Amino acid sequence: MKQLTRSLFLLLLFLPGFKGLSQNASDTLNERFQSVEGRLNALDEKTAAHDADLGKLTKIKVSGYIQAQFESYQDGLLKTNDPNNTFYIRRARVKFTYEAADGIKFVLQPDFSTGNLSLKDAYAVASLKKVPWLSLWAGQFNRLNYEVEYSSGQREVLERSKVIRSIYPGEREVGAKLEATPAAIPLKLQLALLNGNFTGKEQKDVDSKKDLMARAVYSIKTPVGIGIDIGAHGYYGGIQAKNKYVSGYDAVMDSASTNTGTYLDKQWLGAETQVFFDWLGGMALKGEYIAGKNATVGDSKSNPNKERKFSGYYAYLIKNIGKKNQFVARYDYYDPNTSLSGDEAKKEVNYSTLTLAWQFYLNDNIRFSLNYEMPRNETNTTVPKDIKDNVFGIRLQAKF
Amino acid sequence: MKNLKKTAIILAGLAIIGFGFIQQTKITIIGSDTMVILAQRWAEIYMKKNPTVNIQVTGGGSGVGLAALINGTTDIANSSRPIKPTEVQKLKDRYNTLGVEIPCAKDGITIFLNESNKVKELTTKQLSDIYSGKVTNWKDVGGDDAPIKLYGRENSSGTYAFFKEEVVKADYAASCQTLPGTAAVVNAVKKDKYGIGYGGAAYASGVKHCAVKKDDKSKGIVPTPETIAKNEYPITRYLYLYMRNRPTGEIKKYVDWILSPEGQKIITEVGYFPVK
Repeated sequence: MKQLTRSLFLLLLFLPGFKGLSQNASDTLNERFQSVEGRLNALDEKTAAHDADLGKLTKIKVSGYIQAQFESYQDGLLKTNDPNNTFYIRRARVKFTYEAADGIKFVLQPDFSTGNLSLKDAYAVASLKKVPWLSLWAGQFNRLNYEVEYSSGQREVLERSKVIRSIYPGEREVGAKLEATPAAIPLKLQLALLNGNFTGKEQKDVDSKKDLMARAVYSIKTPVGIGIDIGAHGYYGGIQAKNKYVSGYDAVMDSASTNTGTYLDKQWLGAETQVFFDWLGGMALKGEYIAGKNATVGDSKSNPNKERKFSGYYAYLIKNIGKKNQFVARYDYYDPNTSLSGDEAKKEVNYSTLTLAWQFYLNDNIRFSLNYEMPRNETNTTVPKDIKDNVFGIRLQAKF
Repeated sequence: MKNLKKTAIILAGLAIIGFGFIQQTKITIIGSDTMVILAQRWAEIYMKKNPTVNIQVTGGGSGVGLAALINGTTDIANSSRPIKPTEVQKLKDRYNTLGVEIPCAKDGITIFLNESNKVKELTTKQLSDIYSGKVTNWKDVGGDDAPIKLYGRENSSGTYAFFKEEVVKADYAASCQTLPGTAAVVNAVKKDKYGIGYGGAAYASGVKHCAVKKDDKSKGIVPTPETIAKNEYPITRYLYLYMRNRPTGEIKKYVDWILSPEGQKIITEVGYFPVK
């Protein structure tokens, strides 16, 4: 009993020590826990800072494509000693898009083709929060036309049809555009005010008159998987004659002194349709007809200002063959001067062009294109036979 | 020499037969995170019944799935929102089709609250005010005097887009914490007494379903098969399968099976609502 009492007494003596030991362990644990918590908080802060930086980066999107191609030309396209075939870079573009906020976007697209560093797109897009379906564009952007707006990286033939290349040189234009795509109706409305003289180099307008463009497209979807887009566009503008020599619609030269500074009409209308049909892997028929008055500025009597009435159209048949192949046929027609025919037309003859193409999509990034363009011109005594100007092209397109 | 030839022919024959036996059809499915559980369940059961079919299901969000469909890297895109006109335009440009849309299930977007939260029901207007940042304290909607912690999805998610368009009708508040997947949203609300989240009904466990009212005078409705089927629950949507073209072969068989009573029954088991 005595021993038990002694043992208990000794134990009581040591208890505060135990308590002290336990207290020390707990303190150490607390310190370590606080240290770990501190480190975690520091990491949290770092992650938040990185998140903010990465968030900014995700607002920048970079895309682009390179089109390297081989072309072989018929004799009619060549001057003396010209090579009849060549490799070249058709386009090498990088597109930067910065989405500053919902509905606010900046786009910059230079083209770095060999010896041809040029600015393609440079515009800002803004839409109001309350009307997100309405956007205002300002800067340099594509003109309002189906084939013009259809990306060169996506198009099924190597070049646009002759009528589009002739009336919309350079595709782009400097100005401002309103675009409406109401959610309730499958309708796209575009209205633009443009300088009206752009061919790819003009920084500013050459005259004070601005040109007006409008386009509307309505999409119909049928229950059997057919989609039909119907649209129209119009161009209303003019270009100022820089001297008194004006070659009129009938090609008769007018040199009245009052001609200098007058506006020559650039006015036309176009009707378009695209039909998409989910038949054996997909098929499309696309077409457009455009007619009106066009004018170009000359600098002398031998190269006068010219007014012309023109018309043109194009029609595409595109058929997917499996998932990777695509057959394309396009027929296009362009008459640069409908007022004149036969010998009166001289060199302004009409062209009808058949283009056959085959696409092979290796994957989403790589596409091979075979393209054979066969233009056929009207003949007269100035242009007595069909010019041998067929072009065969092979293109490798890589995009990212 | 004759024997060698015979052996070679037999081996070649066996190889062809062998390849024939092990040849598998692969179907790739990418898209909506909301639909991942459902799509995986469908795939598992279908593959058991059809061992020659290999179905790969990946999430990533509806936008990611539809982008993969446009890029040609998936056969089927799962989407918890209808395809956008800009996405249809891309299908037209590359594939000359409008794409094929098949509504395969219905979902009620559930509002998740912490189980200890006093609030039991909210109007769609209150939800809009909460998620757009106009209302920031629970006391303004009948709860404790405590700041509201918002949880939501990333902008690639169809649920994010649907909830923004149908309920918030404005920009999300900057304080809304975006999380990768509805399960993460549920988990966050489970841990946060003053948290609120939204997402597909199938994920809601350990949290409270908030009843939703169309307006002050309406009755609060909780998403159930009945309220969804009758379109009574105010935040209801379809879940879709998208394909580039009308399905053929194994993909058609799979889609037909999804729409069959057997496939539709699985929707209910997972926690969503059938369309047929």
